[in-house]
Amino acid sequence: MPIENHEKARSLFDQSLVEGISLEDRHWLNAHVRQCAECGRYVDLSERTVRALDGFAFELDPAAALRLANVVRSRAERMRSAEAHAKNLWIGTAVAILLTVTGSAVTWRSLAWMASEWNLPSRVWQIVFAVFWLLPSLLLALLPLFRRRLLGEESDSEGQTV
Amino acid sequence: MVAVVTAFSCVAEPESQCIASALRRRDSEFIGRLVSRYHYRLLRYLVYWTSSREQAEDLVQETWLHVLERAGQYNGRLRFEPWLFSIARNLAIDHLRKQQTATARHPVCPEDDAGLNLPAPDFESPFFAAARSEDAKRIAAALGALEPIYREALLLRFQEELSLAEIAQVAGAPVSTVSSRIHRGLSMLQSSLGGVADAN
Repeated sequence: MPIENHEKARSLFDQSLVEGISLEDRHWLNAHVRQCAECGRYVDLSERTVRALDGFAFELDPAAALRLANVVRSRAERMRSAEAHAKNLWIGTAVAILLTVTGSAVTWRSLAWMASEWNLPSRVWQIVFAVFWLLPSLLLALLPLFRRRLLGEESDSEGQTV
Repeated sequence: MVAVVTAFSCVAEPESQCIASALRRRDSEFIGRLVSRYHYRLLRYLVYWTSSREQAEDLVQETWLHVLERAGQYNGRLRFEPWLFSIARNLAIDHLRKQQTATARHPVCPEDDAGLNLPAPDFESPFFAAARSEDAKRIAAALGALEPIYREALLLRFQEELSLAEIAQVAGAPVSTVSSRIHRGLSMLQSSLGGVADAN
């Protein structure tokens, strides 16, 4: 038998393990291996090697596996809830911006209409418009001051009762 | 023990798409089943990287937490396994780099694409203890003598049964390189086993 045939057989067998070979090549390889003891030994050795590679086995601790699954599951739930919260926050922000923009337009037109009905100078209704929007922010900005004063009074009264 | 492959309730779409959408939805029940399904294979792969059962178990947990964080990056067009193993691989490399920097016991191997030396499976490691058959024990010893790049390619191909393209994805190397690593690694193992057989 020509030596090229042995080399071809080994090369085809290696290829069959790693990438796979065509049906035609498979038939040729099988026929060659049946006739050639040396190549048959090579195939047997290769198959033993691959089987041995698959022969590593660990004992799994079922409790540890369950613990891990629970940890990952609870992390997934926390992430889902955080993402839902963030989504709601974004929706709330978008709605607030939309309402602010449309509200500003509606208020501006309404004040302009009222000013024209009552013959008010444009400066007046524009100042009213500015105050309308700025007042809540001003109150919020001043709130900490009042709060501190209120809290101070409360702690004073508590000190008196004690 | 062989990993139990549970059936997933994805009738209408391919499994990888199903996994991708469940990860994006943070479907905790599905994710819990996914963890159980891949636990064994992931642990085996990471034991190979770390040679330590405890470290491998920590890395398995870390891998799953990374999977949750990077769920948006998996689109389900490719199989889930290569993506999972590539995350595990990167974490293992980071872990070993930190360990080697801390201990400075192992010199960096310039031939290794990961830029580090893998701990070789030795006779006391869980890797060797996991070898059940005599052939597997010989293979465990022979694997220890192999360069890490060959060891990884062989284990991903014949233990994890990944395709060449998938191994290339995990290892970040061209398919032709992966193929030649497997051929070379296999022939080294064969000569190791063959030598023993001849001696016997």
